[in-house]
Amino acid sequence: MMLGTVQSGFGYWNVYAWIIFFALAAVLVFYFRSAGRSDYKAGTYQDEIFYGGNPVPKDGDEIAVPASSAYWGFTEALSPFYKLLLSLHTGIASDYMGYFVITMALVSVLIVL
Amino acid sequence: MTWQIHIPALLIALPLLGAFVAPVFVNRRLRDIWFTALSAVVLILAFLLWRRVGAEGTAIYVMGGESWDLTLPSGMSVPIRIIMEVDAFSAFMALSGSIASFAGAIFSLRFLDRTTGGEKFVALYFLLMTGMLGMETTGDLFNFFVFLEISSVASYGLIAFWRNRPEAIEASFKYMLLSTIAALMVLLGIGILYGRYGVLNMAAIAKAMQFGLPEKVALALFVAALAMKCGSVPMHMWVPDAYSQAPAGLACFLVSVSQASLYGLFRISFSVYGRALDTPAVAWIIIVFGILSMFIAVVMAVIQKEVKRLMAYHAVSQTGYMLLGVGVGLLALTHPQAMSEYGFTAMQGGIFHIINHAMYKGLLFLTAGSIFYASGTLDLNRLGGLARNMPYTTVMFVVSAAAIAGLPPVNGFVSKLLVYESSFAVHPILTVMALVTSILTLASFVKVFQSAFLGPARARFSEVREVPRSMLVGMTVLLVAILWLSFMPTWSLSKLVGPAAQALVDQAGYIEAIMRSGL
Repeated sequence: MMLGTVQSGFGYWNVYAWIIFFALAAVLVFYFRSAGRSDYKAGTYQDEIFYGGNPVPKDGDEIAVPASSAYWGFTEALSPFYKLLLSLHTGIASDYMGYFVITMALVSVLIVL
Repeated sequence: MTWQIHIPALLIALPLLGAFVAPVFVNRRLRDIWFTALSAVVLILAFLLWRRVGAEGTAIYVMGGESWDLTLPSGMSVPIRIIMEVDAFSAFMALSGSIASFAGAIFSLRFLDRTTGGEKFVALYFLLMTGMLGMETTGDLFNFFVFLEISSVASYGLIAFWRNRPEAIEASFKYMLLSTIAALMVLLGIGILYGRYGVLNMAAIAKAMQFGLPEKVALALFVAALAMKCGSVPMHMWVPDAYSQAPAGLACFLVSVSQASLYGLFRISFSVYGRALDTPAVAWIIIVFGILSMFIAVVMAVIQKEVKRLMAYHAVSQTGYMLLGVGVGLLALTHPQAMSEYGFTAMQGGIFHIINHAMYKGLLFLTAGSIFYASGTLDLNRLGGLARNMPYTTVMFVVSAAAIAGLPPVNGFVSKLLVYESSFAVHPILTVMALVTSILTLASFVKVFQSAFLGPARARFSEVREVPRSMLVGMTVLLVAILWLSFMPTWSLSKLVGPAAQALVDQAGYIEAIMRSGL
């Protein structure tokens, strides 16, 4: 067995090949970085964020996108599905018990019949 | 004969001792030493047991008998014995759970300094450890129920540990309600089998197993109850409640404790029923549980705004991969060609995912605990820019998030690859669902990373600093395990996962290990 090679029965995968790939990619990244401008000066106007020409707010909260806005398009497109899912997740203990009893009944029918 | 033959007993006796002695340690320093040292000893014992089982085969230990290796009734009119049977699968589970419990214990030390009653936490934590290890090492169905109850009772107390929070009490109550009914179903199933065969030993029942109506009813009770205990959809709703309220060190360990129920489901399906199953219904039920758990839970995770709740949904989702992999293995169990073509690969994938999940999900919960410890919130809408203040926690999060998302070359990728390729042989839709789940997993952890760690610095977190060293050490234990499993995949599969999968498939070997002593 080749070192680090996982045989899946349908193909194979080698972890060390991936590590070499990442190492080569890292070398390229550092090469491109080193080819950048050498006249950059930290702590000067070159460091400033361009905020549409307006002053940058001091607190990051004012320029951050909240997590609840993430994947808005995805959740909006699936809103009927999410509505159904959320209606099932009521947080009520008797509902939890109901799902358990229904599932047990289904499993029993499928195994016994 | 060496002292190591007694490890199966020590593995239960020591945490039990730890639980009963812990309340004495009101002094914080002594409590911390007791907590850490005993957890480390249990981990070492679990490792030695795993090594011994790997070298010498299934370990049998008889408690209450005439001698430790005599499984026969020893002249007593009522033979009261506890027979422990530790095969490679049991040893694998015990090792995986012990690593998580050790990491959770070290991480919890500084957390406990912020509260009173830390010694009670330690006592319940050790009791939980006893229950988990007992479930994974016993060869007796009634003992399995007893240890299941021990772990459940300890969980109720620990989930409600922040007793000043109504949400914690509510989460504990919901889990208690469901768990008690599920445990009664397990007891009923055990009662049915005891009524039929007059024995409680799993191997003895397996040898006599006839798949008639009572056995089918008992199996249905086991499957539904244990699937609920491991958090399978649609019986998963206690998981986000419980995991999000549990202290982080405990949540890390609870992942492994839930896996002990998964162990019970697999052990009963393969070792007790095994080849007597003349219907594919059970395998398909487990596969459908797996698919539903993967997909529904990950879709729910994407919209969560609280870090631990999001991670809890992912705990359910990842359990789906294990159910899918081992379910496909169960489907192929009575077909040798299918087993050699894809069934065994699927089982390897599912079982590899058990330890992978215990390590990276444990680490993710610990990083969530670090965020809460340092910033006082887990609300993703309020968090941000923490990578500047908490660089080590950020690295831990990135590695574990890459692992759970199945990004190569991290360990989650290997187990998922095995599940993808083998489940494709059963039906391509299984693989499609697993792949979509993986993509959504990546999406939700990118959201956590972007919301909590990246972005501009927040004024309210200007004083936030990296967590104390002991918490970093707890996280590092799991990080090292993840890296080991990632960079040594062939070793992991041949030494750790392969023997465990083989032990589960080899029902005759499980029966023979007890029967050669003449039960």
